[in-house]
Amino acid sequence: MKKLLALLLVLCMIFALAACSTDPGTESEAPAGEDVAITLWTYPIGGWGNSETVKTLTDKFEAANPGIKVNVEYLDYTNGDDQVNTAIEGKKAPDLIMEGPERLVANWGAKGYMVDLADLWDDTDKNEVIPSVVSACFNAEGKCYEYPVCMTAHCMAINLDAFKKAGADQYLDLENLTWTTEGFINAVKALKEAGYENVAAVYCGGQGGDQGTRAIVNNLYSGTFTNAEHTAYTADSAENVKALELLKELDGVNFDASIVGGDEINLFRQGVLQMAFCWNIGAQTNVDNGNEVGKTNNGEEIVCMAFPSDDGKAELCGGIWGFGIFDNGDAAKIDAAKKFIKYMADGEGTADAVKASTYFAVRDTAEGNDLTKIYADDPVRTEYTKLMPLLGDYYQVVPGWAEARTAWWNMLQQIGSGTDVSTAVAEFVATANAAAGA
Amino acid sequence: MPKRSRMSRALVRRETTAGYLFLLPSLFFFITFVLVPMFICIYTSFFDSNMGKDTQDVFIGFNNYKELLGDEIFLGALKNTLIIVVVSVPTVCIFSLWVASAIYDMKPALTSIYRVIFYLPVVTGSVAVTVVWKWMFNNYYGIFNYLSQGVGLTNQNINWLGDARYALWCIILILFTTSVGQPIVLYVSALGNVDQTLVEAAEVDGATNTQVFWKIKWPQIMPTTLYILVITTINSFQCFALIQLLTSGGPNHSTDTIMYYIYYTAFKLYRYGYGNAMGVVLMILIAILSAVQFRLGKSKS
Repeated sequence: MKKLLALLLVLCMIFALAACSTDPGTESEAPAGEDVAITLWTYPIGGWGNSETVKTLTDKFEAANPGIKVNVEYLDYTNGDDQVNTAIEGKKAPDLIMEGPERLVANWGAKGYMVDLADLWDDTDKNEVIPSVVSACFNAEGKCYEYPVCMTAHCMAINLDAFKKAGADQYLDLENLTWTTEGFINAVKALKEAGYENVAAVYCGGQGGDQGTRAIVNNLYSGTFTNAEHTAYTADSAENVKALELLKELDGVNFDASIVGGDEINLFRQGVLQMAFCWNIGAQTNVDNGNEVGKTNNGEEIVCMAFPSDDGKAELCGGIWGFGIFDNGDAAKIDAAKKFIKYMADGEGTADAVKASTYFAVRDTAEGNDLTKIYADDPVRTEYTKLMPLLGDYYQVVPGWAEARTAWWNMLQQIGSGTDVSTAVAEFVATANAAAGA
Repeated sequence: MPKRSRMSRALVRRETTAGYLFLLPSLFFFITFVLVPMFICIYTSFFDSNMGKDTQDVFIGFNNYKELLGDEIFLGALKNTLIIVVVSVPTVCIFSLWVASAIYDMKPALTSIYRVIFYLPVVTGSVAVTVVWKWMFNNYYGIFNYLSQGVGLTNQNINWLGDARYALWCIILILFTTSVGQPIVLYVSALGNVDQTLVEAAEVDGATNTQVFWKIKWPQIMPTTLYILVITTINSFQCFALIQLLTSGGPNHSTDTIMYYIYYTAFKLYRYGYGNAMGVVLMILIAILSAVQFRLGKSKS
């Protein structure tokens, strides 16, 4: 009996060792002409975070491309980067990934993990795609690590009913969706005086949504986050310091280290806050809480607004999303992944891919398919297009972005804790520029 | 005699072989997931190891360790970790011993109910527990602010997790509630196993309840106490999930622990060598404290 048991244990051990020692290289090579399975990891970019929506898209792609199978895994913004980094270090990176240039170009691309997609662009493509988007997808050496699909301009939102009750709607240009810094200050004061305890929150708990806090700071007095060449951080300018001091001083605006961007959106929807700095068309059309499009949970009207600026010329942070390919050393998979990208970003699947994202196309046409009218019957998105011309410089491709992002949160937390604004900002810029090698 | 000796040697050899075979699966996992990573960690800590496909790890000797000594964030994280350990370990041990003493000789059903109540936070997923606590601590609609204002303790909301003065203590409180379950169950079991004849003999000799506890029960539950001390110390040193889910080390690094700072350094800053150096320091600290606790426990028993 003991012998039998011992034999079984030995067999188990051998099996376990054999299972652990499988060579990953042997299973990935697919001879030409046979089925190729590629893996796509996607962040929750609108409907690209929804498995049903994505399955519809991949089913159509697979039908149009027999022999290619796409397996999709879904990431979130809280742990997604860690998952990807762990996979990269474990030599298990996905074949395809969907996100923005700040990750694909400035991070993983710069570290040498991505495939150069420059061969997917011809002159027609470069003319069809918005120039600032093209520029964000290429690095300084002319290598392309992201093929873009969709974009938006990140804006802020206000609770119009609350503004009207407080008489603060007089400071809004609802026709153009813009307002001035002075109007913003007066609106905060009016709302506070009308009894709204928490008008807005500079959320600084970390993670996503940093574009909202950067945009409010940069726009108030026309400061910049980086230099024009995207080689150094300039957030310590007098304009930015003045803006941060204003936000710190304004009664009703909280520097809150206990909430992140997603929490701010929820608090705004719940009516706790009367403004949200973390907003875009995706948030405006979100109905997850049983609310109507463009309404808070209790039915009050939400209006998307540009960030307030002293010169009336707001510059909005852009969100660009597209596909990148990890260089896993398998030519067949890279080739299949490129076919997927071409289909979704510049082919017959592009209109569906853009609509699934809930954002806007980065080009007018894709291989002859008109993309300008995909939201023709959507009044909310039509209204939102007023904000798209305000799209500012896409500076998120500056080197050291990942570290700068975390340092930015810490800087806001320091200011919220009472640290002198100039000191905190100087420390941030020193850290960020050290990371950028500037 | 020689024949019997040969037989017994064969028997011993067979049983030893069987014993080792039974050990093999655990040994395999221990070596693969504990020893090997530990040695890799120590090895990598001497390199400037970063993320990058074409990046070569450069041997830098003890430079990572020297940098640690001047890293204010690391020293702050070390201080926070020690505060958590120093506050958590005694309070968890004392509270669980007190609760166990009160419930172990109740009716079995009642004892079980209490055990379930105190053990619930342990078996509930840490994410679920953390989310509930986050709601309770919420700056805008949390129950703690509601209650403290309701009873007149405060006149405005306190940002429990967003204020450096309170955040670490909130973490310690949550850690406390998730840490007492197992010690209570262990103490109830240990107190139930105390030799009743000794207790009765002491009572017959006129010993008071306090004397019975310290002279008879306490020495008999000392191995359990030692185990609880070591486990709670290690758990407190390794406090990570709560920080990651509630504060991400903020505000302004006020809730950074060594574990969280290791994660931050390795996964956010991609400095693997530096993160591993911190891991080695943490390992040494835990080893020293555990050794001290074992030594003290041994000398007391």
